[in-house]
Amino acid sequence: MEMIDRELAELPPELRWREWMRRIEAVLFTSATPVPRADLVRVVWQGAALDLLLEDLAAELADRPYEVVRVGEGWMLRTRPAYGAVIRAAADVGDREVGLSERDLAVLAAIAYHQPITRDGLKDIFGHEISRDLIGRLAARNLIAPGPRAPRRGAPYTYVTTPGFLAAFGLADLRDLPDAEALRDAGLAGE
Amino acid sequence: MSFTSDPNLSAPPRSALPGWAVTCHTADPEDAAFRAGAALAHLQGVMVQPGLPLALWRDRLALEAAAATVRCSGRSEGLAELRDALHLARPGDPLGPAGEIGQAWRRAVTRPLTARGLTPLSGVAPELVRRELARPGAPIARAAATLEAVLSEAPRAETAALILADAVLAKVLGWDWIVPLLANGLTPRELRRDGDELRLACHQAVVRAAARAAGLAQDLARRAARLHAVAPKLRAKSADAAIALFLAQDALAPMALTHLMSDRAARRFCDRLVALGALRELTGRDSFRLYGL
Repeated sequence: MEMIDRELAELPPELRWREWMRRIEAVLFTSATPVPRADLVRVVWQGAALDLLLEDLAAELADRPYEVVRVGEGWMLRTRPAYGAVIRAAADVGDREVGLSERDLAVLAAIAYHQPITRDGLKDIFGHEISRDLIGRLAARNLIAPGPRAPRRGAPYTYVTTPGFLAAFGLADLRDLPDAEALRDAGLAGE
Repeated sequence: MSFTSDPNLSAPPRSALPGWAVTCHTADPEDAAFRAGAALAHLQGVMVQPGLPLALWRDRLALEAAAATVRCSGRSEGLAELRDALHLARPGDPLGPAGEIGQAWRRAVTRPLTARGLTPLSGVAPELVRRELARPGAPIARAAATLEAVLSEAPRAETAALILADAVLAKVLGWDWIVPLLANGLTPRELRRDGDELRLACHQAVVRAAARAAGLAQDLARRAARLHAVAPKLRAKSADAAIALFLAQDALAPMALTHLMSDRAARRFCDRLVALGALRELTGRDSFRLYGL
């Protein structure tokens, strides 16, 4: 790995701070997935307060159409929701997020609430076989990933949601799923 | 999970934690601190008692800590699912998000208690691990401060925060290894407190967790004695090496013994130990079984 000067001791404090902010913005800009805190810390001086840097960056982007958001244990740059329609009108982004049918979304929701769950488990919920194609579509969009194998005949893979799922739906983590607790109380979402 | 004691198993005598230390919940900080001190002193005695399979004890406490951490992170996997994920995965299989929390805990209790041994800790920077391990102050107050510091910097890094807090506690107490206590005693709601409230919750958590850990130690010491007692009856080759594994781990799939004996012999060996009352089958399933003390 290339060595970078993290401390920037020769710069006056103000420029130093700006440079750290820019570095964080550059790292976030190039990443399609949330960047964990530990990775961001590597490009700034260890004594720098990352949260303050991120706050300042967020403030600087206040009048831009994109923003810094926290997703799971990391951060990413994301266009503001208000520009969704504009982006869809200009570019063919049909293969991402919007390409999911209602059925796909229903299966995705079932996986989110019941994870880790096998295709057999999904079959029990929906009353019919869930095709490998559908699972493949969700996996190709990086919304789900294989989890641990289930301890039964054939050791089938279970499926779990990914950090990409959290990012796509604007959740910080699974606790933000709507009414997870109420569903659990009603016995609908496992133990 | 409950560990019932069997009076037929020979028990190395060890008095329980005094009743005044564990009974009735106290909200008085001084009282709670006093009881927590008593509980930790008692636990220190428990840890050095002869016959306690220390590695197994820590491994099982780590699994319980992992289950508690998984609950904190909004997932629904319990102890049994964690065990499955950790012990049935073949090389290269994904462990899943809960299994990864389990693995982080297991790694934490088996590695040396240093900043280098603890990293990488997902969600926090190595600098932070070093800083927290060097934090000054009284044992539980330090651990509470670590929890608060990590969670204020990375609110969703509960696993790292709890592992680090138990590491800090063990380090101040001069223990060689992490003994998961705070993770096993704090509720998800208490974890979100701060300042004096968090410190009080940590003192109360240590009393609860230490009492349970001491009970588990008694139980495992009894079971280990039973395992040693039946060992001469085993004729399988490498029986001693297999027994050593069971005394070091929470659970094992027969598959994990195949470097010592054939697959079939491994299954027979486990079932024989269950029949002799020295092991338990932990899953209740007919296939994909796991065995442990």
